[in-house]
Amino acid sequence: MPACPVSRRLLALTLASASLLGGCATFSPDGGFGAIQSETAARAGRDVVWSRDDATRAQTRARVEALLAHPLSADDAVQIALLNNPGLQARFNALGLAEADWVAARRLPNPGVSIGRLTRGSEVEWDRSLHLNLAWLLTMPLRAGIEARLFEQTRRALVLDVLRLAADTRKAWIAAVAAIQSEAYQRQAMDAAAAGAELAARMARAGNWSKLKEAREQAFHADAALAVARAGQSRLQARERLVRLLGLEHPDTLQLPERLPDLPAALPSLPDVEQRAMDSRIDLQMVRLQADALAKNLGLARRTRFINVLELGAISNASNEVPLQRGYEISFELPLFDWGQSRVVAAESRYRQMLERARQTAVDARSEVREACAIRQSQYAVARQLRDELVPLRQRISEENLYRYNGMLISVFELLADAREQIAAVNAAIAAQRDYWLADADLQMALAGSPGPAVLTPLSPASAASAAGAH
Amino acid sequence: MTSRRDFFKLGAAVAAAGVSPAAMAALPEIVSMDRADTRPPLLPPNGRPYNPVVTLNGWTLPWRMRNGVKEFHLVAEPVVREIAPGMKAHLWGYNGQSPGPTIEVVEGDRVRIYVTNRLPEHTTIHWHGQRLPNGMDGVGGLTQPQIRPGETYVYEFVARRPGTFMYHPHADEMTQMAMGMMGFWVTHPKGPHPLIDPVDRDFCLLLNAYDVDPGSATPSVNTMLDFNLWTFNSRAFPGIDSLNVRLNDRVRIRVGNLTMTNHPIHLHGMEFEVTGTDGGAVPKSARWPEVTTDIAVGQMRQIEFVADAEGDWAFHCHKSHHTMNAMGHAVPTMIGVNQDGLAEKIAKLIPDYMAMGERGMADMGRMEMPLPDNTLPMMTGRGPFGPVEMGGMFTVLKVRRDQRRGDYSDPGWYGQPPGTRAQLWPGAVADPVRASGDAPDTNTDIEVTVRKPAGHSGH
Ligand SMILES: [Cu+2]
Repeated sequence: MPACPVSRRLLALTLASASLLGGCATFSPDGGFGAIQSETAARAGRDVVWSRDDATRAQTRARVEALLAHPLSADDAVQIALLNNPGLQARFNALGLAEADWVAARRLPNPGVSIGRLTRGSEVEWDRSLHLNLAWLLTMPLRAGIEARLFEQTRRALVLDVLRLAADTRKAWIAAVAAIQSEAYQRQAMDAAAAGAELAARMARAGNWSKLKEAREQAFHADAALAVARAGQSRLQARERLVRLLGLEHPDTLQLPERLPDLPAALPSLPDVEQRAMDSRIDLQMVRLQADALAKNLGLARRTRFINVLELGAISNASNEVPLQRGYEISFELPLFDWGQSRVVAAESRYRQMLERARQTAVDARSEVREACAIRQSQYAVARQLRDELVPLRQRISEENLYRYNGMLISVFELLADAREQIAAVNAAIAAQRDYWLADADLQMALAGSPGPAVLTPLSPASAASAAGAH
Repeated sequence: MTSRRDFFKLGAAVAAAGVSPAAMAALPEIVSMDRADTRPPLLPPNGRPYNPVVTLNGWTLPWRMRNGVKEFHLVAEPVVREIAPGMKAHLWGYNGQSPGPTIEVVEGDRVRIYVTNRLPEHTTIHWHGQRLPNGMDGVGGLTQPQIRPGETYVYEFVARRPGTFMYHPHADEMTQMAMGMMGFWVTHPKGPHPLIDPVDRDFCLLLNAYDVDPGSATPSVNTMLDFNLWTFNSRAFPGIDSLNVRLNDRVRIRVGNLTMTNHPIHLHGMEFEVTGTDGGAVPKSARWPEVTTDIAVGQMRQIEFVADAEGDWAFHCHKSHHTMNAMGHAVPTMIGVNQDGLAEKIAKLIPDYMAMGERGMADMGRMEMPLPDNTLPMMTGRGPFGPVEMGGMFTVLKVRRDQRRGDYSDPGWYGQPPGTRAQLWPGAVADPVRASGDAPDTNTDIEVTVRKPAGHSGH
């Protein structure tokens, strides 16, 4: 990531002069947290709290305990994470630091020694200098502007952190609940295999069955027991991951429901999802802020027009008069400046560099949201197919098999093998249901910012055949 | 897939297009049967008189006498045959049923048979056992071209030899016989015959076998051995009518085998003699008493006896699997396997599960549990004393004092005279002295002496 073009942190050792202190620059009462709170409420529908003092801490603790009193819904899990995740609380302090810088930049200075740090890419330059009051006063508006933008950037980065934590928590909750369901079904499959093995043993005792057939049924049982052990591990891992995200010291207090929420009756449609992403993605908003900051830093003031960075290349090569032909247009616009007047080649290069980076971010954002949308759609279709066709078909097959058993056309072992296959089908349907909800969470995240490398959720429904251990 | 209705349409369309109305009028009327019960004997309205047969769950085809020739019209077509109440098979047959109608003629009759093909593929009819000109033998490709769908062929010959015969296709024969195409033929003697005695009741039936997957209706035509429906005239017990006779009637039963295995046909209560085969009457000196006669594949036997014992007498194939309906031959034996505690566990996974077979399989005859569609229980049927636990090639010969001559209706269950039925012993029985019921102990040390081959002395 490119750092802010100019990142300057000033630590001033003031030599005091109370009279020079302006009353205009003070810390805000909420440390700028209010904006994060309202943004979180708007986007995630949850409340985020920065527990800076004992009173707030006690309050949030009480809220968390109240939520933990019942089996936790996904929304409640997200709420607990937003109240209680220690990493998030730690990150909120960045806000305090940024605000401190901003406030410092707006303060009337005292003469003194300052240490400044200048960063350009990976290059860091320290300068130590003696400041004169006059120079400080002259540059104060510029520095205040820079620090204000940095503060704003920090705020947005924190909103993104909050939303990412919300998404991760939601996904961890989905995985944990699905793992519970899956283990329960594996246990049923094991019960079927256990009944088969027990019956085989009794048949062998009665002299009706060979050791070979008995061993075969015992092998099914052993396999099924292994599958239960593995499912138990998965459930434990998924639960612990959720516990970490929720920041729970006492994991025993966490109760989870036994089932995932049902699939929605219809896939909620998302019109213009790509444009929505362009408008609402926080990483793009941060790019906009950076462009703004860079322009100011470079002394670029005269905006000639706005350009859609997604068509940066096209515009560079096309005449300004010819409008680009598009069926519909996705746009992410940034201002373009009058280079002719500035005549600073380096400035133009740097700004163009920034535009290309903005284009990269916008192209990535579009792609991510498209991908998330498509995966959610196909995952919905897969989950519906399993739930509405495959599972009912397996039930029909089981019913017909029972009729065959009634007619002494097949044996109880075939019935038990069929039961295992039916259980495997239900298990696959649960996995698909889980994957739909994960894809849904990824899409919601993709509308706020990059969903991260986990966007391709491992889709691993146990295939009906492999888990069945059929004869 | 072409539906059955389409076949009819096809036949009608071709007949209308290819044959003039005058020519159609020249053909004997098509008579079709839509029922599977035993029809009363067809008394000959013309020609030489004879004593007609009764086809078990079947009928005799009426004919037209034209210039001294007996004319029949057989239509080969897809049919729906009720195998027993509760099960209908999609078969191929003749004139609405499988097997086709019985053809009855008299020795010396000139017979003309029109054969119309309403099947989706070509066919022929072979007149099994008959003396006839080679070109009338009905072997597709060998003695005649096959009859294509929509075509009508005419067979004509003199019924030279009296006796028991059958007819069946000799074109894609494996498929067409697996689908039920066959029929009975009886040539009555024209006068008194030294080896063919007059009888009071003359029954005929064909043995056939089908492999209909439980839940379906069309036989698997490629099955060679593992059939699941063993039938008399494409009917399985309890769908087979009883053979109802009057006490002291002389009874003849003619049986032909068009399955792919032999059937030892067994009669309870009385002895019989085999008086003829599809090769003709058996010389009296060569007959001997039997209660079971094995009928090999492609053979016919006519058995005769005097029904001098009143009662309800079983008449069946003695292969016990042939008196069962559809069953799983790979189902393991559950006898002696205690399912206590286990059945409940299984029922948790498979609701409606019920343990069966622990004491044997007779439970099956009692319990009525849902089966696949269009499937007969493996063993079923009820008698006056409970489940008969039978299926397949099984029926009852009912001998009654008061059965009227010419009356073939079912007289109901036999009222056994008091004191003539096996009865429950009310007293106590001492425990039998028996060897230990434990399974042989495999851990017992048994000294096994293995003599190793030494050298090549034996060579
Ligand atoms: Cu048999």
